[in-house]
Amino acid sequence: MSNNAPGLEAIKARFDELGYVVDEELATILFLMLRLGKPLLLEGNPGVGKTEVANVLAAFLDTELIRLQCYEGLDVHSAVYEWNYQKQLLSIKIQENSGRSEAEKEHHIFGEGFLLKRPLLQSITGEKPPVLLIDEIDRADEEFEAFLLELLSAFQISIPELGTIKASNRPLVILTSNRTRELSDALKRRCLYHWVNFPDMEKELQIVRKHLPGIEQALARNLVQMVQLLRNKKLDKTPGIAETLDWARGLEALGYKTLEKEGVEKSLGCLLKSAGDIEKIRSEGVGNLLAEVENG
Amino acid sequence: MAEHPHSSDYPALAEAIIGFVHYARREGLMVGVQECQEALRTASMGLLQEKSTFAYALRAIFCTSPDEAAQFDKLFDLFWGNKKGAIRSRTTYRNQSNIQKKSPGSLVWMGMGQKQEEGKEEEGRNVSGANAVERLRKTDFAKVAEMDSELLEELALQLWKQMSLRLKRRLKASPRQGRIDLRQTIRASISRGGDPIDLRKKRRAPRKQRLAILLDVSGSMDKYSYFLLRFIWSLRAHFEKVEAFIFSTQLIRITDFLDHRNLERTLGMLSLQAHNWSSGTKIGECLKTFNEQFARQALSGQPITIILSDGLDTGEPELLAAELGNIKRRARKLIWLNPLKGMQGYEPTARGMQAALPAIDTFRSAHNLDSLLELEKYLWHV
Repeated sequence: MSNNAPGLEAIKARFDELGYVVDEELATILFLMLRLGKPLLLEGNPGVGKTEVANVLAAFLDTELIRLQCYEGLDVHSAVYEWNYQKQLLSIKIQENSGRSEAEKEHHIFGEGFLLKRPLLQSITGEKPPVLLIDEIDRADEEFEAFLLELLSAFQISIPELGTIKASNRPLVILTSNRTRELSDALKRRCLYHWVNFPDMEKELQIVRKHLPGIEQALARNLVQMVQLLRNKKLDKTPGIAETLDWARGLEALGYKTLEKEGVEKSLGCLLKSAGDIEKIRSEGVGNLLAEVENG
Repeated sequence: MAEHPHSSDYPALAEAIIGFVHYARREGLMVGVQECQEALRTASMGLLQEKSTFAYALRAIFCTSPDEAAQFDKLFDLFWGNKKGAIRSRTTYRNQSNIQKKSPGSLVWMGMGQKQEEGKEEEGRNVSGANAVERLRKTDFAKVAEMDSELLEELALQLWKQMSLRLKRRLKASPRQGRIDLRQTIRASISRGGDPIDLRKKRRAPRKQRLAILLDVSGSMDKYSYFLLRFIWSLRAHFEKVEAFIFSTQLIRITDFLDHRNLERTLGMLSLQAHNWSSGTKIGECLKTFNEQFARQALSGQPITIILSDGLDTGEPELLAAELGNIKRRARKLIWLNPLKGMQGYEPTARGMQAALPAIDTFRSAHNLDSLLELEKYLWHV
């Protein structure tokens, strides 16, 4: 869109300052997104930091983040707009003896003051283009997806009583999906696509250091190794980055300077969020896992 | 792979990009005119200094799934790489085991890669991967090769999990508000001086989703029950309540064993229970036991009832028909899944099956993964 969009290096540097470790690939795609003005679809496992991208992007552009959390049965009323019915009724009551004509009254109660703006409408009527995060789009039904498609191509919304509202500023749209179902091809083709992987060893270590600057180097390295190891096991809930950080904080709070058996056993709940997984790891023996970490 | 175009065949960069778009399109990526324009614009943005950056940018524009991304990497290397050998792909799509879980596409060809001689078929792998999934989904459970069975099992668990997750979401009380309840609204308006300020809405009462499953584990079902038992287990994880039974000459309630989150343990405990697995079948008598001892509890709340059996019965057909009738009266829907129905030219001529047909609402096959996944429709529209 605009030619004064920030450059690739600027994105990397500033994201780093904001506490988000962005790799070359994602930086390139964000750069492209800002230049082309296309929505970005992020797919990946839960806990790889998809939502965080939108948060940091909003901070980066110093603009508002508007978030729409999708769920089964999400409809236009909760996503786009709703009339404030109670206020309308009261207004009619108040105007009962005002001597205004019927048409005037009607015009009045269907004015902007009575409109409750929901995220999608908010996102196209703001002063400054916001970042619009449409989270977990795979949870919404197909009908909603179709509606969204319309919005994403035309950036306008029609409200029968008010007419069509055109975007004053095009929001930067980020969609995320956990891939519980395939999204429609039409929607995917409107977007830039990026599959977010779990971070590799080095990147995750960087993330941990960024969030916990005071952490012991040896502890950080070993715990990240351990997490990486666990991700390769078949667990019910593969630990994400948030879990790694929780765990690191937990270990730090418990006063451990290195990764040892006792500490791991005590704090396993920070990392594994299902009873089955914890049982599985316990039965495999935390000691064995640690030995594996030691041996690299 | 046969001859492929290369960037050095083109006189200028713009032509090369267009050439690449055509190449990618021919190889099956969805690349339209818009994508082509965007690729050209990308080139003018200074993203060309680094080849990797250029690859990232084009990948984001061209691809819509991890599978496509893997294919893209291959094409990109062939087209833009050094003319002789392909550059090794930089991405880690293949190495991350976590993707295995999410993307059935990559799952299979990754597994295949390990089983084959390493590195031999670097090029063809992805293509055969997509086909392998398709093939596995359609393969009759009884005919699964030893080598594929592990892959199929993993793929199946993955897809079933997704399916029951979808079902669970749909069947939960919908947060969508219902219609306006006039009576309640008027009543509420009394306290507001007669103005209906507070709208009361009618919501559909959330329906508890229940399922009763009876699985035939007799000898003739041997090859199928291995997978079907896993199927039941994965349904269990996401339904409100699943009552499950296995039968051959006797009926055994296995609901409690399914509670375990650990599949292997569940199966281990089950095998201790069943003394008469893989012997003959007395469907009628087993259903009679079911009706007498368990039906009151298992069929409370009108569950959908699924019977998984090939209908090869050694007992009396009349008894079977009568007992099925009893079940049908209490079930919301009676579904019979017969693995044999997947065979070409199969007619339900077995005496047992003949007797059963009148009482059944839905008669379907259950011989491969796809047929089981289709069940989603029937479980949903009830």
